[in-house]
Amino acid sequence: MKKLLIIIFIAALASACKSQDELQSQYNLAQELFKKREYFDAVTELKRLNFFDSTNQFSFQSCLLMGKAHKAGAMLNDAVHNFTMAGIFSRTDEEFYEAEIELIRVNILRRTSSQAHKIIDRLLLDERFISKKDELNYWKGWAYIFEDDWVNAADLFSKVSENHELTNFCDSINDQLYSATLAKLLSVFIPGAGQIYTGNYLNGIFSLGWNVFAGWLSINSFAEERIFDGLVAANFLWLRFYIGGINNAQKFAEEKNLAITNNALDYLQHKYGGLKP
Amino acid sequence: MKTYQILLFLFLTASAFPQNLNLHSLENKKKFADHLFCEKDYLRSILEYESILQSIQNDTIKFKIGLAYQRLDEYEKSINIFNSILPNAESEFYHSLFLMNDFNLFRIKVNNNKTDANPAVQKLYLFSYFFTDDALPDWQKFSETFSEERAVESFYEKKINPGYKSEITAAILSAIIPGAGKIYTEQYGDGITAFIATGLLAYLSYSNFNHDHDFRGWLFGGAAAIFYAGNIYGSAASAKIFNAGIKMNFENELRLFLNQNNYFMPEYNFCK
Repeated sequence: MKKLLIIIFIAALASACKSQDELQSQYNLAQELFKKREYFDAVTELKRLNFFDSTNQFSFQSCLLMGKAHKAGAMLNDAVHNFTMAGIFSRTDEEFYEAEIELIRVNILRRTSSQAHKIIDRLLLDERFISKKDELNYWKGWAYIFEDDWVNAADLFSKVSENHELTNFCDSINDQLYSATLAKLLSVFIPGAGQIYTGNYLNGIFSLGWNVFAGWLSINSFAEERIFDGLVAANFLWLRFYIGGINNAQKFAEEKNLAITNNALDYLQHKYGGLKP
Repeated sequence: MKTYQILLFLFLTASAFPQNLNLHSLENKKKFADHLFCEKDYLRSILEYESILQSIQNDTIKFKIGLAYQRLDEYEKSINIFNSILPNAESEFYHSLFLMNDFNLFRIKVNNNKTDANPAVQKLYLFSYFFTDDALPDWQKFSETFSEERAVESFYEKKINPGYKSEITAAILSAIIPGAGKIYTEQYGDGITAFIATGLLAYLSYSNFNHDHDFRGWLFGGAAAIFYAGNIYGSAASAKIFNAGIKMNFENELRLFLNQNNYFMPEYNFCK
């Protein structure tokens, strides 16, 4: 009886070891698919691994890899879910930190940067990760870039290291940006000036000319006591174009800023050599 | 005895590891496919079920593929699959056909295939009349078929008396009193504005003509005429929009009711 039980026990133990091998080879298969950029199939195999891994031996790795596959496939919401789960299944501080960093990066990418800031701030206060301050500031800087806050971004990159490449880059972008408020105010005081400030010279000169002409027409009508004509000219010929010019100045500034920031992001995506979200 | 107990404990501990080692065996594929389906990852579940079908032919698996396609709103594919396993998948076959929103085709298929014995299909058949402009069958048929669903009676009444507004009445009312057509279609703000704007412009036109300002008289008169004509057209359009709103709300109520009642389909327990 005793021998029989020992044999059964050894058989069960062997079975358990084989199970682990099977799970390991399943994880390897998923990794291979991920490397071949077959993200859909990689996620399927990782889901299979998670389903059969009843003791959660591979849960951290599989959730992390699944998050990366979803991120690579631009399924950012799913990636956030996977990285959150990876954090839950982490067994060491390093694993937890790795999952949190991935979560920060994907939150920056999907422009939920307030969430990224929250996680970064929490990690900055965590004594376990005191040595990771520079890396956390680096990602905080990236979060500001995606918020179009180039001043704060430059400030944070300067904290990471002196003369950081991204500090100078963010400063230069900030210098190129137009102030929409200034453009509007210029057009309030001198019609067309806001458009000229944003580089739309022809539009600015035309706006100035039209305002002078329509203004003269309105004032002249009032001066000759043609009140109705004056009201019509002031309302339909002057005020409409005056207000339109102010709005145009703001629109031009915003369009220019969008082009500048798009170019900046394009540079960061294709030419910047450092780590990106 | 103690040794036996320890061995038994170790055995049970070891047994906690997964017993069926091959993750890609047919049985495990089926378990995994069901898991994906229940997680609403229908596309992956279809692929997994289809890989099972490459090894064995199984109507239940086909049925689940049909259901997954239906959940993905791929009704044609689900219909084809359910069609291949009729009569077992009769209810879901007609369910998918109903979801395609081609209610005339749905009724032709039901009539041709004589599915009187299937109560779910009969319910969908009668319910389809609420979505079309065809004459409703007698209430008697509805009351017999929907003996447990009281809401159907109110749907039937709403279908007979939807409370639509007449476009012609709205236009005539606005021709007599500017804005009245809008008020008839319950656009009170628009109606009052149209009345004031048309009246004011007409008064300004009259006043200018009286004071020999002919140009301004024609200017305001023209504007008043445009407002007047526009309001007549706008009132008719408003009645049309009002009716479309009633129809949309009614259909939303119908869809909500159908969803709450799972389109009268049975519950499947493989996700429990």
